[in-house]
Parts: sequence; C-alpha cells; structure tokens
Amino acid sequence: MKILIIEDDPSLREIMSRELKQEGYVVEVATTFVEADSTVAGYSYDCILLDIMLPDGNGLHLLEHIRNLGKRDNVIIVSARDSLEDKVYGLENGADDYLPKPFHTAELIARVRSVLRRGRTAGELELVLGNVTLRPDSRSVTVAGEPLTMLKKEFDILFYFMQRPHHMVDKSVLAEAVWGDYADESDNFQFLYAQIKNLRRKLSQAGATIELSAVYGFGYKLSEKES
Amino acid sequence: MHLFSRIVRHLALVLILLMTLWAVLFFYAMMDEIRDEADDSLEHYSAVIISRVLAGRELPQLGDGSNNSYKLMPVSQEYAASHPHLAYHDENFLIADKGEEEPARVITTIFSDDAGQYYELKVATPTFEKNDLFESIAIWIVVLYVGLLLVVLAVIALVLYRNMHPLYALLDWLESYRPGCKPKPLPGETRIKEFRKLRMALQRAIERSELMLERQAQFIGDASHELQTPLAIIGNRIEWLMNSDSLTEEEATELYKIHQTLLRAVRLNKTLLLLTKIDNHQFPESTDVDIVQLIRDYIENYGEVFESRGVTFRVDLPEQYVVHMNESLAQTLVNNLIKNTYIHAPEQSVAHVELREGVMTISNEGVESLDAEHVFDRFYKASKKHTSTGLGLALVAAVCRLYDMPLEYGFEQGRHRFTVKF
Repeated sequence: MKILIIEDDPSLREIMSRELKQEGYVVEVATTFVEADSTVAGYSYDCILLDIMLPDGNGLHLLEHIRNLGKRDNVIIVSARDSLEDKVYGLENGADDYLPKPFHTAELIARVRSVLRRGRTAGELELVLGNVTLRPDSRSVTVAGEPLTMLKKEFDILFYFMQRPHHMVDKSVLAEAVWGDYADESDNFQFLYAQIKNLRRKLSQAGATIELSAVYGFGYKLSEKES
Repeated sequence: MHLFSRIVRHLALVLILLMTLWAVLFFYAMMDEIRDEADDSLEHYSAVIISRVLAGRELPQLGDGSNNSYKLMPVSQEYAASHPHLAYHDENFLIADKGEEEPARVITTIFSDDAGQYYELKVATPTFEKNDLFESIAIWIVVLYVGLLLVVLAVIALVLYRNMHPLYALLDWLESYRPGCKPKPLPGETRIKEFRKLRMALQRAIERSELMLERQAQFIGDASHELQTPLAIIGNRIEWLMNSDSLTEEEATELYKIHQTLLRAVRLNKTLLLLTKIDNHQFPESTDVDIVQLIRDYIENYGEVFESRGVTFRVDLPEQYVVHMNESLAQTLVNNLIKNTYIHAPEQSVAHVELREGVMTISNEGVESLDAEHVFDRFYKASKKHTSTGLGLALVAAVCRLYDMPLEYGFEQGRHRFTVKF
C-alpha cells in the first residue's frame, strides 16, 4: 500500500509519515504544489493525503489535475480551513474523504484504512478484528458469525476502537468522540466507565477474541486476546 | 429633558417675564397719558367757563350732552388765599346729566374777576368713562400679549423642530446601530454646516470602529487558524509517545495530564474559530431543524455525561417545533444552553426547559443573579470551573445575534433563566 503525503508543514509531515509507516504503509512525501504535481503525474498511489493550502498553489486544483489525468487514486483532503465549501467542492470533485485539522493521528489512520478498504471491497464497509466483525452502515456486530445486540453508545465506542485497533485512546478523547464536544467538561468519567464495563461484559459473554484493556487508568486499548 | 423642550421652555420663561413687564409698563404709560389728556380737556373746559365769566357772557348749559359738569361759587378772599388756585382731585360729584353723584375727576380753579370777587370753579368729568377705557385697554393688552407670546413660541418651536430634524435623525440612527452588523445608510442629509460636520464625523467614527472590529475578528480568526497546526502537531506527538510501550506509568500519567491541558487549548481554539465564523456569517446554508428533537437529544446525551451531578430536567415541550436555520448552529445553541445548565445547576436539583410559542426558556436554581450585562461576553466566568472555556454563552449569543433572535438572561425567584425567542 503506497501513500503520498502532500503537506508543507515539516513537523506535521513527519508525524503523519511516521504513523503511517508504523502501520505498514509505504510513504512518500511532497512538500510543494509543483513537486506534488509532478509526483502524482508520474506515479500511482493507493491513497493521497492532500493539504489544500500549499504555499505555491491550491490543493483543490491538484485534485482536479489528478482526476483529469484519469487516475483512480484515493484522495483524502486534509485542511486547516474547516469550511463547508471546501469540503463540498472537494468531495464533489472526486475526493474520498475530508479531514479537518487539527486531527488525531489515530483518526487519520482510521480514515486512510477506511478509504482503502472501501476502494477494495466497493461494498459494505466491514471492520474486522479477531472474531469480531462490525458493519457501520447497518450498525451490526457479529462475534464468530453470531449477531451481538448492543446499545447505541456501546456500539459507538466499539466502532471507535475498531477503527484504531492497538492504539491507546485517551478517555477524554473517547468521551468527546462518542458523547460530543463538551463531554470532558464533566467532573468525572463515570458515564464512560459504565458503558465500557457493559461493553466488556457483552464481548466476553459472546466469546469475542478481542478485549478492551485499560492503560494506566487514563485510556483504553482494543487488542486481540493473546491465545 | 429634550433639548428641544428645554430651549422652548427657557425661551417661554424669559419671554413671559419680559413681556409681562413690558405689558405692565405699557399699560401704566397708557393710563398716564389718558389721565393727562382728560386733565387737559378739563382744564380747557374750565378756561372756557372762566373766560365767559370774566367776559360776562352766558355760561354753558349743564346737561348739554357732554358728561362734563361744573359748579361756580363765589368765595371769600381768605378762602382763596388758603387754597391752591389750581388743583386736581378725585371726588364724588353731582353729574348734571344723570342728576346723581358719581365718582369724578374734578379740577378746582380759584380766580377773581375785575371787581376783586373770588370764585371757585369746579369742573368734573365722571371717571367711569376713563375706567371703562382702562379696562378695555387692559383686556386687549392681555389678549394681544398672550397671543403674541403663543405665536412667538410656536414659531420658535417650529423653526427649532425643522432645523433640529437632522440631529434627531442621526440620533435615531446611532441608537439603531449595532457594531458588527452592516450599518444602514446615514440619514440626515442637510445644508446646516454643524450637522453636516457631525454627520461626517459620525460616518468616519463608524467606519473606523467597523474597521477595527473587522480587524479584531480577523485577528482572532487568523490567530486561531495559525494555532491549529502547531496544536495538532503537539497533540499527535503526545499521542505517539503515549502509545509507546517503554513508558513508565508515571511518565504516561504526566503525558496524559499534558494532553488534557492541550485538549482544552484545542477546544478553546476551535470555539474561537467557530465564534469568528459565526460573526463572519460563514454558515449560509439553512435547513428545517426540529428544536424539540435537539433539546431531547442533548438532555439525554448530557444527562448521561453529567449523571454524577444528579441534575434532572423537567421538560415542557410540544411535539415538535421546526425552525429554518443552519443545523450546526442550532445544535451549538441548544447544546451550549443544556450543557451549561448541567454544569452549573446545583447538584441534585431540577432544571426546567420549556418551549412555548417559539420561546425557549431554560431555568435552574441559583444563589444569586449573574452579571446580566456581561453574562454573554467572551470569557465571562461566574464560577471557577477549570474545564469551562467561558465561551459557551458567547457562542449562544453569537448565534442569536446572527439570526436576530432575542436572547435574555434573568434571575427570578432563585432561578437563573435563559430565554431565546425563535
């Protein structure tokens, strides 16, 4: 899997490429519009991460260029300009996803993975870890082929972790992702602990081979049980 | 007091005093003149009688139609010596025409004929005629002066009103002006130099303040924008570190705390960006949004999150209430008000939300009123809750401002009350 990162900020570029390399992708980078333009013309990538605010040109033009070349590369727009027009324009012109800055690297990886998977299967998205399969579109979960019923919040939590397996997720980040923007203003995380507890119970009762483990009391990680 | 009524009142006061004084003076001068005239005519009449007496001619008949009467009496030399030869006084006098005594103006003349005989001649004219005259003069003076006063004041008022009109138009405009909203064109086009200058000064001041406001908003927007990438980088590096297996628990906990602080900075920054975007009208697309559904969703969602605080909501909501506005702004509005209540209501208390005839009211118990002037300001914090950004209500206010929806805060019967009219 080959990924091209088009990003002018050196520090962000480094983090993105480090994270993606760690996930096993082959990563190449381009730092300017001109460089990116010649790179995409000459090579093919499974996924292109495109910052639309480049010092020497608008990334949206690059997107048009890629599509004019008849390339089928997946493109995820990364933008600090969280504006609806950019998003709509980008998605209408062949971008596969839109990721506003600032983002968590886990989020980035989840999006890349999801875009690549979509590109491959072209059907319903399935997230698989161990013997657990999660289908976001139908909001269904199966453990070893057996359906497992879940409450809304439990499903949302599992979905979040399934997108970033083996990644530690900070509980306030999780709370914000599942309960909304202000969830971490709460005095404590009782609401979160309760849901995690239920989720763990359901998974283990269904005989799932994955587990949610606590990391030092401030985060969780979803991983496959070591058998 | 209005400038207009103040000027008219002061002018009226001065004019009433001056004109009264003038009228009184005029009246007395007039009276004096009339009395003088009357005395002159009496004198003339008595001179006629005296010359007739001295010439031995027939005296004028009494009761000849003129109201004058006279009385001629020979007097002794001593009497003549002891009395003034010409004297005016007022007394009751037998008026020949009427045959009865009437108050009259009398001239007494003492003279002697060739034979050395002294006579006293009294000529009288009744004063009622003069009094009648005075009376009608007085009435006319009062009528005319009061009329004059009223006309003068009316003219002044009219002239003032006509000329002050541009000033009032400017004031009305200034009152309706709200910083940040595009101002209506300045009224009060006029040829009066002072008002023209005032209007120009106002125009320049507004333009300056609009520019400053725009720059300030621009600055906040740019600053938050520029901060996004570095914040994201720090966050990602921390997350990377936290996922490292070689960390000790102590190090990991420290990193977690740093991350918490960073997340707060990120949220603050995001909120500032959102505020700027609302103020810059960057949410054009509107859809039909069911406010009731939003309220129910957020109550349920935050009810879970803030469960440990024990705050419950009593709801008084219709089936649905659909408003045409930007969906994410509607969410921002309802979200912040509900979250605010969950966070700030006392523990184990009952908050109340109702939506009636397009007016949403959210109230909860409180100890004392918040500063109603500043409660919607950025970074206003009544409590020292460290997690609060102090921007939630500012966001609510910004959304309401954008849609021209009245937003009010009040404190009644021990309850904080926020009202939004959709």
